[in-house]
Amino acid sequence: MTARKDLSERALGVLLLTPAALLLAAIVVYPVATLLWTSLTGVDNANPGAGEKFVGFDNYLRAFDDDRFWHSLWQTVVYVAVTVPAALLVGLGLALLANRPFRMKWPVRLGLLLPWALPLVFAGLIFRWFFEYQTGVVNDLLATVGIAPQNWLSDPTLATVAICTAIVWKASSFMALMLLAGLQTIPRSLYEAAEVDGATAWQQFVEITLPMLRPAIFVALIFRTITAIQTFDIPYAMTGGGPGDSTETLAMYIHKTTLDFLDFGYGSALAALMFLLSMAATSGYLRYTRRSAGREER
Amino acid sequence: MRLIFIALTVAALALPASAQQQQQTTLRIFTGGQQRPDVMRKIADEYQKKNPNVKIEVEVGGATSEAQQQYLTTVLSSKDSALDVILIDVIRPAQWAAQGWAEPLDAYLGSDKAKILPAYLKAYADADQVGGKLVALPYFADAQFLYYRKDLLDKYKRPVPKSWDEMMETARVILDGEKNPQLQGFSTAGAPIEGTVCTYLVPLWGTGSDIVKDGRLNLDTVEARQPFQLYGRMKQAGVLPKNIAEIPTDRIRVDFQAGNVVFAQNWGYFWNRVENDADTKVKGKVGVTILPHDQGGKSATCIGGWQLAVSAYSKNKQEAVKFARWLSSPEVSKMQAVLASHLPVFPSVYRDPEVLAANPWFADALPVVETAKSRPVSAQYPQVSDAIRSNMNAYLAGTKTTDGALADMKSRLKPLYK
Repeated sequence: MTARKDLSERALGVLLLTPAALLLAAIVVYPVATLLWTSLTGVDNANPGAGEKFVGFDNYLRAFDDDRFWHSLWQTVVYVAVTVPAALLVGLGLALLANRPFRMKWPVRLGLLLPWALPLVFAGLIFRWFFEYQTGVVNDLLATVGIAPQNWLSDPTLATVAICTAIVWKASSFMALMLLAGLQTIPRSLYEAAEVDGATAWQQFVEITLPMLRPAIFVALIFRTITAIQTFDIPYAMTGGGPGDSTETLAMYIHKTTLDFLDFGYGSALAALMFLLSMAATSGYLRYTRRSAGREER
Repeated sequence: MRLIFIALTVAALALPASAQQQQQTTLRIFTGGQQRPDVMRKIADEYQKKNPNVKIEVEVGGATSEAQQQYLTTVLSSKDSALDVILIDVIRPAQWAAQGWAEPLDAYLGSDKAKILPAYLKAYADADQVGGKLVALPYFADAQFLYYRKDLLDKYKRPVPKSWDEMMETARVILDGEKNPQLQGFSTAGAPIEGTVCTYLVPLWGTGSDIVKDGRLNLDTVEARQPFQLYGRMKQAGVLPKNIAEIPTDRIRVDFQAGNVVFAQNWGYFWNRVENDADTKVKGKVGVTILPHDQGGKSATCIGGWQLAVSAYSKNKQEAVKFARWLSSPEVSKMQAVLASHLPVFPSVYRDPEVLAANPWFADALPVVETAKSRPVSAQYPQVSDAIRSNMNAYLAGTKTTDGALADMKSRLKPLYK
């Protein structure tokens, strides 16, 4: 009797899950599977009429010999290494400010939201105008203190600095929003108790705020790292990858390989490699959080 | 009175109804933001008047050739039937033929093909036929010219320069005399975009050499270094804008019409804008001539222009071909010349009095367009272009030397020219 009931309940469960599973299969599994399959095929674009043929792991092996892949990967790593910590610091500062008790909270919250709500390409174009050689506000400011105008968008180092600035500006607000949500879950009573015990503001920050905020920080870091690995829009709008290919990211190279060069096989293989990179970064964070959570329980 | 009113109302109501009984076809034409979509709209309205059964929708794409193609690649790779007629850059027919995106027009034209083609400028009739198949029809011609500030040349009593060195010298004299820190001597496309391919090719062609010779890569020559050396000298002389590696095609026009450029290398559309835009400061002060060359060399220029392809996935191919054929007629060529200073694709239209009244320089433009050269023709043109422009851009930015840029260009082009 109970066995049959279990069975019918299980059947009902399967029935209820089926629509969601089918939807996921259609919008996640199918495209990913297609991408992986495409990455194992190749088309001769000098003669696309010959059709695509199975080439095994050739596309992946090709990446290891491709200087442009390594350079764009390196450039992506630079953007991750610079913008993830920088956006965390700026975002934390903004969240702490926004969390202070004061009247008229909404203009501050709105100000925090705006950069996040702005489409990435717009942010890229706005910063491109800021850093423009002749008419940009940055060179204008430099001129007022007697510094000669700089080639912000056509010098590889300066262009990287300009792009990182734009990314940090854009990403900090999302960081701040996530951290602000975390800050608001910390009970006020903890701070009141600490004050009674004579803890300084800094001690309260280090001993209460930071540890309590840790889960929020990790979630924010995971999100930021994954989007940093996928950096595309802002450098695309600001420099188009130039000068040469010096500011080109992996995502931009994938876009170029696929949509400009029509090399769908190689582009898919590069995309699969980028996916592996995101997976590695995320699982690194997750392992760290799990380990530290385990330590606390002990 | 009342009866007449009723009769008129009934007639007015009946008219569109009978028109609706005729089959209504909607055609969608795609054009880039730089190819004067406003003029395309006017031309399409004209067509609608003549063909009341056809409704034309104009879809406007990105400003650059690359941005347009990226969008078109997604549309056409997914075999989407949304677009019927598509304006494509002159560099694309080979790729479009290879990918099967363009409906071959031979069968639709039949015996007309042999009649129509000889009327066009030869370069376009050639560019639009790939492997003997007609993949597109010419819409408007284009080539790069040297635009200059007549008033400044007069002020310093300098002749219109014939050679690059002469141009550099004149630019230097004017820059020294004007003492305007905003003023640029010579501007050309330097950003990592399609136009920068011509920035490399024009001086190379001026030497009589080319990137490809008899189907093989031809970059181990002294001439292949010449463009880098030329721009290197210009940079040293302070004639190029300091941010040359950031400058896309239309930025040159913006700077020029603000009065900040002495010499500019640009396409035909430039004239109409710098002479007619509301904010132009150089109206009546602009001269146009053939591009300079090396001492002892010959002036060369890059051929441009836009072609009308019929999408292989269109559901109204008959009507689309009919519309494309009309767009590619002397009548429309003339409309474009007058409204947008688009260079005609028919030699005869260059001598039309109305066209000449709007563009006095067209009389001298014909021989330039007739001798303009094509960028390398390849089914993999985007890779060819990327190899040239990214290295030219890196050289202009000062991140690569002549040797470095040329070596990288060669190594990227080599797999494409086996």
